[in-house]
Amino acid sequence: MLKYVLNRVKSSLVILLVVSMITFFVLMIIPGNPAQLILGTDATAEAIEDLRIAMGLDRPYYQQYLGWLLDLLKFDLGTSYIYGEAVTSLIIRAIPVTFSIAVFAMLIATITALFFGILSAVKKDSIIDYFSRSIMQLGTAIPSFWIGMVFIVYFGLRLKWFPISGFVPISSSFAGFLKSIALPAIVLAIGETGTLLRIVRSSMLDSLKQDYMDAARIKGLNKWKIYMKYALRGALIAPVTIIGMQFAKLAGGTVVVETIFALPGIGRLVLTAVERRDIVLLQGLVMFITTTVIFITLMVDLLIMTINPRIKSVERGE
Amino acid sequence: MNETVVLKNLHIKDGKNTLVSNTSLTIEKGDIYGLVGESGSGKTLTAKAIINLLPEGLKFTADEINVAGKNILKASQNEVTMYIGKNAGYIPQNTVFFLHPMIKIKNQIADGYVHHMKRSKAEGLKISLQLLDMVGFENPESILNFYPWQLSGGMRQRVNIAMALMNNPAFIIADEPTTALDSTVQKQVMELFKKINGDTGISILLISHDLSLIKHYCLKIGVMYAGQIVESGYSKDIFENPKHPYTQLLIKMMPTMNIKKNEPIPEIKGFVPEKGRDSQGCLFKERCPFAMDVCGISVKEHNDSGHYYRCNLY
Repeated sequence: MLKYVLNRVKSSLVILLVVSMITFFVLMIIPGNPAQLILGTDATAEAIEDLRIAMGLDRPYYQQYLGWLLDLLKFDLGTSYIYGEAVTSLIIRAIPVTFSIAVFAMLIATITALFFGILSAVKKDSIIDYFSRSIMQLGTAIPSFWIGMVFIVYFGLRLKWFPISGFVPISSSFAGFLKSIALPAIVLAIGETGTLLRIVRSSMLDSLKQDYMDAARIKGLNKWKIYMKYALRGALIAPVTIIGMQFAKLAGGTVVVETIFALPGIGRLVLTAVERRDIVLLQGLVMFITTTVIFITLMVDLLIMTINPRIKSVERGE
Repeated sequence: MNETVVLKNLHIKDGKNTLVSNTSLTIEKGDIYGLVGESGSGKTLTAKAIINLLPEGLKFTADEINVAGKNILKASQNEVTMYIGKNAGYIPQNTVFFLHPMIKIKNQIADGYVHHMKRSKAEGLKISLQLLDMVGFENPESILNFYPWQLSGGMRQRVNIAMALMNNPAFIIADEPTTALDSTVQKQVMELFKKINGDTGISILLISHDLSLIKHYCLKIGVMYAGQIVESGYSKDIFENPKHPYTQLLIKMMPTMNIKKNEPIPEIKGFVPEKGRDSQGCLFKERCPFAMDVCGISVKEHNDSGHYYRCNLY
């Protein structure tokens, strides 16, 4: 197991190196002079050139890259032009916002999808199955910006149950924290539930057809025990994989929802960095998001190994 | 009460399509009853109807399905599930996914026992150790800690047999239990069935397409064709004096050791009919060398002191 993890970490480092090169050089090619962006259009050509040299942008690309890479190893992602602050601290501040929304959204989506997915597979072609299938269609079809605005108007402005924007840290008020992330989390969850429900339902249907279900039935066990212990166990791998991918996606920032609810998360940072050509910030964000995705994928793979021990022995080369 | 299983007039339908019709069989206490027939002749469906395990979507009717003294047609679905779970066992043809591949054997073998006997899992495992020992494992404790895919097919089948015996059932169905095993393991598993049958007096319904196996191990047999039992009775009577042309052909076609090279393997021409199984006539008519006009309309049933056959020749 440890050997497997170490191997995965090694290959992850290679991926990160490649991603870092691609990001760095692609962003370098983009036209626009960062020094000009910082100083504005009124600045003299001299001042711009001085700043450019001060920032080290006159050096050859490979030197710039190596310098950036060495700083990266020290967890120094540079200083954002527009915020004038270390990129690391900007990201660290955005993490709690994005991660809490992502975690809650995936919790809601997972619980809903498991509940309706299992029910609709077990009671195939019943009313509950049709209902679940409608959730699948709607969840995937409704755009999140629209449902987000509907929620703001109805639950935020009319009923005043939730704040319509901003983030309350968990340290200042737990109830306030929950309220501030509730609407964005639900909006994101709606988008993810449809896909996940579809996977849960189809894996359950497949699992219910397996021979081990006959074995469980002939034992005369209670129906729900059969479903939960045997059928669900056999049906978990695909949903867990999808949950991991969805979580990785959300943890990398959700531009639309963070914008609608004015949440200072990773997604908003990305948007700002792109809009205002803050290349240092953007590079840092890309590295951060890539690392997050790789880390989550690794966790999911380890989880799947415990669900299906057979994979473990295959990975070990047995 | 000497019968473990009484099945009367079973019909199984898939929508409008009849799969099994007019099927009756009786398994005496302590017997090994052999059900033989080609693929698609309805052997497995008949067996599954007895233990309430028919696939979803299939509908069945019967005059009586009596298992170990209880007519399960008169019981509620929950009662049947409980009753069959306690009194019957099932051993599959395909061992690969019958035991749940992601669950250790110790976590699935005793489920039924714990549920029906209202005992702890530890007690269940104790019983399973005894049974694993009985089915021939030298080191039962280690088997419990394996996942099913870590065992060979023969070993998995032994675990399946032990699992089927957990509640000390009156009756087990062995559905082509050795078809997926190689021939040396086949013999071991069959001898094991014989031993269990001799030791515990459990009744066994043995399903097979292998006539020589059936001949060797079963006291009574039923020959199925296109969803009907066309001939049944003592194995000895049937093999010495087969009445139905289908049985006669089957016996004639049993492979022997002295088939010569390049000599064509004998076969019964044609296929088992999928449709029209609800006909009043003889379903073997299309392939029968002795078919008469009347065979398409009706068929005579005979019962010579326990030797049953349905044919117009007699």
